[in-house]
Amino acid sequence: MITLLFFSLIGAGLLLLLALVAGKRSAGVEGTARALVDARHALRTLQGELLPPGLVERIFAKQDFNFVTSATPQDVQALFLRERKKVAICWVRQVHAGVLKLMDFHLGQARFYAKLSLATEMKLALNFAALLFACRLVQFALYLGGPYAVPGMVRRTVNNAARLCETSEQALTFLEPFRVDGLSNGSTSDSGSS
Amino acid sequence: MVKFPAKRMDVRAAAEDMRRRTLSRIARPLDRLIYLASLRDYNTGFYYHEGLAARFSEEAVCEALSDCHREVFRQLLFSPLEDLVAQLEAYVDSTNAMPADFIAAWQGLEPYRVSVPAETDSVSAGFFFSNLKVALAILQNRLRAPRLPKPTAWRQPSLGR
Repeated sequence: MITLLFFSLIGAGLLLLLALVAGKRSAGVEGTARALVDARHALRTLQGELLPPGLVERIFAKQDFNFVTSATPQDVQALFLRERKKVAICWVRQVHAGVLKLMDFHLGQARFYAKLSLATEMKLALNFAALLFACRLVQFALYLGGPYAVPGMVRRTVNNAARLCETSEQALTFLEPFRVDGLSNGSTSDSGSS
Repeated sequence: MVKFPAKRMDVRAAAEDMRRRTLSRIARPLDRLIYLASLRDYNTGFYYHEGLAARFSEEAVCEALSDCHREVFRQLLFSPLEDLVAQLEAYVDSTNAMPADFIAAWQGLEPYRVSVPAETDSVSAGFFFSNLKVALAILQNRLRAPRLPKPTAWRQPSLGR
């Protein structure tokens, strides 16, 4: 009786496992598509909006600070610092969110497509973790010390994020139709004119 | 923002036309931004320009003006705060409004919030609004400053507050 109960439990457990795996597979197609779109969007936001040197340099520009301190009274200076701090923290939070999305994508999906080696995956995971930690550290420093507290850390974080974006871009190249082999043989001009 | 895809060549030509004939005659980027934002229908987000529409398709005009708008916005976004203050001051002077009224209206209503192109990311938009807020505070301070006897004396009262 005990043996029957034991094997029944094992059977039920296996069935449950099978159901879980099947469920994950069927939801996978939609989930994968969503993850790919999210990752592409995160990459575009990071590369096109948050990391280009123009915007970062302007947000953390000492030139603006010097102008305000030399030409305005303290209440305006305080307003300026408050506003710039708000923008700087918003910026680093957005970078953190974008990097997190990319990391989710790499952890969940990219390895199946990009055929990354274990060593590369480990290195990538470490880089992601370090970057996320750096973002939080920068955010904390900005919160405590204001927008001009850690210019070096901001610069390093931007550089590291840009490097990770490049890696992610390579992993995501299979998403771009014009890179698909066979279509690239002179067919781009045809498709453009039609 | 675009109703139907327009031919890229038409879009480029329409944008070039807009830059050459109109935008080049508007001296400051801030004025250009306000002008371009005024060409956009707030209900639909589409841009309209009669002169351009006579030569290009509506879709090409809409896309071209959207491109110009983004271009001018980025130019302003990357301007130093000092430049923005100077542009805002010149813009205030170019209107018929009293500077104090203008500043009060802009601080209260924040009409500049509708001047950014659609699909502007939140950090860029926030940065632009923040800079304008500070620029308005600087202009407001300059308006108050001449009433005081000495140029350096105005610092004292605000330090104590």
